[in-house]
Amino acid sequence: MFHWLEKNPFFFAVGVFLVIAFAGLVEILPNFAEASRPVAGLRPYTVLELAGKEVYKKDNCIACHSQLIRPFKSETDRYGQYSLSGEYAYDRPFLWGSKRTGPDLHRVGNYRTTDWHENHMWEPTSVVPGSIMPAYKHQFTNVADIETAYAEAVTVKNIFKTPYGDDIKAGKEAWEAYKPKVLAEAKAVAAQMKNKDVKDMVAAGKVPEVVALIAYLNSLGAKRYEAKK
Amino acid sequence: MNALMAKGLLFAAILIGATVYVVNSMHIDLSDPINLITMIGAVAIAVLTVGVSIKYINQMKTDTASGELAEENWDGIGEYKNELPGGWAYSFLGTLIWAMWYFTVGYPVNSFSQIGQWNEEVKAYNAKFEEKYKNPNQETLEDMGRSMFLVQCAPCHGNTGDGLSGKAHDFVDGRISKKQVLDVIKKGSNQLGYQMGAMPANMVTGKDAEEIAAYVAGGMKGKQPASFGVCAGCHGADGKGMNGMAANIAEYDENLITHVIKNGKHGAIGTMPAFHDRMTPVQLKALATYIQTLRGE
Repeated sequence: MFHWLEKNPFFFAVGVFLVIAFAGLVEILPNFAEASRPVAGLRPYTVLELAGKEVYKKDNCIACHSQLIRPFKSETDRYGQYSLSGEYAYDRPFLWGSKRTGPDLHRVGNYRTTDWHENHMWEPTSVVPGSIMPAYKHQFTNVADIETAYAEAVTVKNIFKTPYGDDIKAGKEAWEAYKPKVLAEAKAVAAQMKNKDVKDMVAAGKVPEVVALIAYLNSLGAKRYEAKK
Repeated sequence: MNALMAKGLLFAAILIGATVYVVNSMHIDLSDPINLITMIGAVAIAVLTVGVSIKYINQMKTDTASGELAEENWDGIGEYKNELPGGWAYSFLGTLIWAMWYFTVGYPVNSFSQIGQWNEEVKAYNAKFEEKYKNPNQETLEDMGRSMFLVQCAPCHGNTGDGLSGKAHDFVDGRISKKQVLDVIKKGSNQLGYQMGAMPANMVTGKDAEEIAAYVAGGMKGKQPASFGVCAGCHGADGKGMNGMAANIAEYDENLITHVIKNGKHGAIGTMPAFHDRMTPVQLKALATYIQTLRGE
């Protein structure tokens, strides 16, 4: 019946490829689609947190810190619940990292606070005596680019249907209308900080990088989920 | 015995001889069972190789074509009709049955997953932990508490528990400062989840509050101020919290540590996150035991 196929090696190879490729798709795609959906209750990053994520990338935190807790008892004891793929649904790109010179940060918001991060970024050895992490004092004076972060939110909303509210939309006017919300969020973070320059900058309508970064770090963990009450 | 058989036996003898020679020259100890089994295996391979070779060489020499030709042929090259050997047929049927089991029960139920492995690991660990620390003594608790403190608490409270110059609560210098007591009296507190419920703000003010704060911060020693009666209503006359109904303000007992760890705390110094679900009751007790040892008198 299929002797004609045996006489046509090219079509035979194509046929074999199709059969195997189909089997592969059937096995891979459903799992992949399931795992890439956001886990229940996950909210997208706020604009300030997105700005902080940019700082995280810019200052190359990923070189020393991972954001992926593997399902091993030793790791879940130290960092909390193991990571699920759906938790990275709004991470573009995800920041898993591949090396832990410092600890994992995927749930750092659960067990560190704003003032701790402030002390730590200013002088790491002041809170962790043996730390080899460098100080990031420039983050206290550099201004974070919240406008680009807003543009990122608009982009992922339009392209990937990330569920942001209606108030995030393209255009200068929309941004001007939204900006006070970002500044209010930054003020809430700065209120828990001690550095006077940072407070002054926020009061003057600028967001220092450290404020955005701390907002981002605080969001890692339970605060990424919609409040349940 | 034909010539082929003779040559075969000679070849087998050479192979076995070579094996024995190698074993001797390498001083391999044949009293070790693994070595002995390996040696027997080597001899068996030599015998089987020769035996099978002789069979097929003989067959090539004497066999003639027989059987019924199949209808199909390729450029004149045909093949005989061969019955499927019984062993093959039965194994094929066996794989069909195995596949049904595998698709319905085997793969979905018994398949490997990392999460499943984690669940088992944690279950086994917890069982072992409970068994080992059923009745821990003081020394064990202090050791366990110290190791936990260094991992979970030290980043804010410092390796020695001194609070890193005011960045967090100082366990070494004293229990609680006057400033902290005043802060709680002024703002009230409803964050530790005690049965007694919320502590209202400003139950006492002015001089009374100062007196109470000094008394509590001083370790509740000396004469009790008259206004402490307001506190005693919930915290008890001795300040110990009436057996866990309210916070123990006299000492760091297990109950107080448990409530702070579970709910976190926002006070005069700053915010402490909740560390719920991270510690077992034994670990909490160990932590409380260790924190009690930190206080320098």
